[in-house]
Amino acid sequence: MNYNELTRRYFESAANVGELTGAGVFRGAAGSLERGTWVQFDLQINTGAVSAARFLAFACPHTIAVSAWLAERAVGHRVRALLPEGVHELRDRFAVPVEKLGRLLIIEDAWLAAAVQAVEYRG
Amino acid sequence: MNTAHPNKARMPVYLDHAATTPVDTRVALAMADVLRSETGYGNPASTSHDYGDAAAALVESARAQVAAAVGARAAEVIWTSGATEASNLAIFGVSQYYRDRGRHIVTARTEHKAVLDPCRELERRGWEVSYLLPDKEGLLDPGQVAAALRPDTVLVSLMHVNNEIGVVQNIAAVAAICARHGGAWLHVDAAQSVGKCPVDFASLGADLMSLSAHKVYGPKGVGALLVAQRGEAARGRVQLAALQFGGGQERSLRAGTLPTHQIVGMGLALELASRLSSMETARVAQLQQRLWRGLAAIGGVLRNGSATRSVPHLLNVSFEGVEGESLLAAIRPYVAVSTGSACTSALAEPSYVLRALGRSERLSESSLRFGLGRTTTEGDIDTAVTVLTREVGRLRNVAGAMPVA
Repeated sequence: MNYNELTRRYFESAANVGELTGAGVFRGAAGSLERGTWVQFDLQINTGAVSAARFLAFACPHTIAVSAWLAERAVGHRVRALLPEGVHELRDRFAVPVEKLGRLLIIEDAWLAAAVQAVEYRG
Repeated sequence: MNTAHPNKARMPVYLDHAATTPVDTRVALAMADVLRSETGYGNPASTSHDYGDAAAALVESARAQVAAAVGARAAEVIWTSGATEASNLAIFGVSQYYRDRGRHIVTARTEHKAVLDPCRELERRGWEVSYLLPDKEGLLDPGQVAAALRPDTVLVSLMHVNNEIGVVQNIAAVAAICARHGGAWLHVDAAQSVGKCPVDFASLGADLMSLSAHKVYGPKGVGALLVAQRGEAARGRVQLAALQFGGGQERSLRAGTLPTHQIVGMGLALELASRLSSMETARVAQLQQRLWRGLAAIGGVLRNGSATRSVPHLLNVSFEGVEGESLLAAIRPYVAVSTGSACTSALAEPSYVLRALGRSERLSESSLRFGLGRTTTEGDIDTAVTVLTREVGRLRNVAGAMPVA
């Protein structure tokens, strides 16, 4: 399979991998090993904005790259119960094949599971 | 050893010799000689002039080389475009010829698609096919074949060396069972065998055997089907119906003008393989052990297929805790191997061979097939181990301690 330059770059660097702990950290996960894709996000909230984000993923290069990009992109922005960028925009940005659209939805589920809690926290 | 990201001009280490092999320089030169020859371009079927005779002499010389390399008689060699065509000719040819005697075939779930797809097609046409399931190491008990045979069985088709996991089946025992049955002919796909383990058509006792040139440092586009001319009096010789018509070449079993240069290449490639086989096998066995030791040290690495009844040229392993597509993408710039998935579509299908051995879908997807060969060096193995150690560790770190479903 071919990957565009952005996908390859974020897949290879996979920055912001890991977990966060402590006050103001909210975790969301979706997917499963059984389904072949699992993603987890940790968002740290400070005065309504994302101060740090980490992810873990057992997933294909597209999923890892998109997760890494989202974790990087979110920092400094106000937390919302939305992906920082929509699924279709992410698909275009990372040239995700249509057959893999479901994997972006797993990313969205994981992100929202963390973000919804964070929005309610407002710490 | 350089395992930094390669520049664009540098190709990854080639460890996919089970898929295909580079053409041996001696083979390429021999083929070029034919193409440049002032007489060898004749049609081997043209018996009316010297050009045809010269080409026919080259073809017959290559036929003798192939026969000698695999313990067959020259007259038993039928040229084809490759092992896939040879297997198609064997399966469709036998089933067509003996259709009034029976419509049952026995094969295994772990066969190459060149055998499974023709069997599926025959099922669509009304034949019955029994698919034997090997044990967890990929080995068949010959008794399974005996149990599957029926009065209406006309063909048993099994591979000698499995193309994904390298296990060697006990063909001689299966041949004896088929001979006792009397009506079941034995076809053996030996595309992965020549040059990797002893192949003796006569002593193995198979009735039909598929061969390939490009797996043995020969050219793509040429192969052969061995059709046994021996035969016990009561049983007679195996017969085939032709699948293509138009010239009567190859005893009317495979019509079409013979590609002289390809055939010359195959003849020499198999001669070289049989000559170098034992020396090369010992060297490759050491490399395979070096590779397995290095990969096993990573931890969470499972070997697929029997370690004791397999050719050393193949090593198939599954990596726990690593997603298959990511694993392949991560190592692709450095090492050329085959994956346990059939990546013919955007969404990979896990290997049916590994699934038949009982591996989970996830482990099947995260498996790699390393094909070692004549050009493989210790440095290649060390590069592969270094890259796999680094990338498997990185991907496991990305996955973290994920919940087991």
